[in-house]
Amino acid sequence: MKKILLMGKSGSGKTSMRSIIFSNYIARDTRRLGATIDVEHSHVRLLGNLRLNLWDCGGQETFMENYFVSQRDHIFKNVEVLIYVFDVESRDIEKDMHYYQSCLEAIMTNSKDAKIFCLIHKMDLVQEDQRDRIYNERVLELQTRSLPLQVTTFRTSIWDETLYKAWSSIVYSLIPNVQLLESHLDNFCKICEADEIVLFERMTFLVIAHSTRIDNGDVHRFEKISNIIKQFKLSCSRTQGSFQSMEVRHANFAGFIDYLTNNTYVMVIMSDPTIQSAATQMNIAVARKHFEKLEGAQFAK
Amino acid sequence: MLKPKLISQVLQQATTGGVKATILLNLEGSLLAFAAQSDRDARIYGALTSNIWSIYSKHVKTETGPLSFLMLECEEGKVAVSMVSTMILCLVAQEDVELGILKAKSEALTRHLEAPLSRVTGY
Repeated sequence: MKKILLMGKSGSGKTSMRSIIFSNYIARDTRRLGATIDVEHSHVRLLGNLRLNLWDCGGQETFMENYFVSQRDHIFKNVEVLIYVFDVESRDIEKDMHYYQSCLEAIMTNSKDAKIFCLIHKMDLVQEDQRDRIYNERVLELQTRSLPLQVTTFRTSIWDETLYKAWSSIVYSLIPNVQLLESHLDNFCKICEADEIVLFERMTFLVIAHSTRIDNGDVHRFEKISNIIKQFKLSCSRTQGSFQSMEVRHANFAGFIDYLTNNTYVMVIMSDPTIQSAATQMNIAVARKHFEKLEGAQFAK
Repeated sequence: MLKPKLISQVLQQATTGGVKATILLNLEGSLLAFAAQSDRDARIYGALTSNIWSIYSKHVKTETGPLSFLMLECEEGKVAVSMVSTMILCLVAQEDVELGILKAKSEALTRHLEAPLSRVTGY
């Protein structure tokens, strides 16, 4: 069981992003969410054996003070990951930083090996030509303020794929033995002569691993697909259907999305039009057995 | 796993001396790999072959064991169909190709592919 703290100022979007990633909300539904009172715990199970205990800590000042004083041990002990969310539009940056640094202090004393991720959230509210500049400024400031701890920063927005990118990286950092998974995926990719194979977590559709033989220009493609497929899955469930698999084919490429194990989906991209769909599907079926064994072995550990 | 391009190359080697098309299908009739003039030809041959194969195998099964080989002499050519592992191998030849050489080719290919393909399906 891994403990993940989700912190940040009130209204910065912690509960919204959690709902989108783990509870199948769509972006516009998050308007219905109210303020989080104290701490909301949620248990998430990824990949069968990776259990996350997500502490969504309400960000109103009274709660914050509480966390640092009376609940300090309770909150900050045994933390594996701290995710700190900053509202990019926040008026009172000094205060945000003050809370952030208190938080880091508490982490340093109570769980010094915790990984720290900072999300600069609501980037969609910043004018497009300003985004890079503002983001870079914030990152620089965060890095200096976080010393001696190392932080990983992301810019996010619930309205585009950046949220998935950030969370995929966070989940990636939590998976044990991800290199093994990647090497098997590389093999799979090589044998079935695919351009690219991507492994998604089944429930959240976050990217776990990928193997690329022929590069595609778009660096945001995985997150875009996560986003699209998740929306599609939701529309499927509204009509009482459940998403199984899909195949998209046109003159220049074929794409297959299919379940791989109980906890993962796989996407196979082929650009060679001479390779038949049935052959790829057969390869996915064979890989399925292999990856189930692999996952079983990991589970046993 | 199947290496699609490699299989196509093997099938290509048999597509000589009057053989027009060599096709590997699964039992549902979907193409796995082929060597033929065009995609369209291969698909049509494949659909017909799997249909004929499934009808024959339904009738043959009870008395003599499963169907293992089919030779068809058509107006515009000859066809040899056989089973490789759980897949169907189909060779389509011009009418001037003799049945003997067609059968020999088909058997040679089957021998060559049987072991590797059964590893794929048996996994």
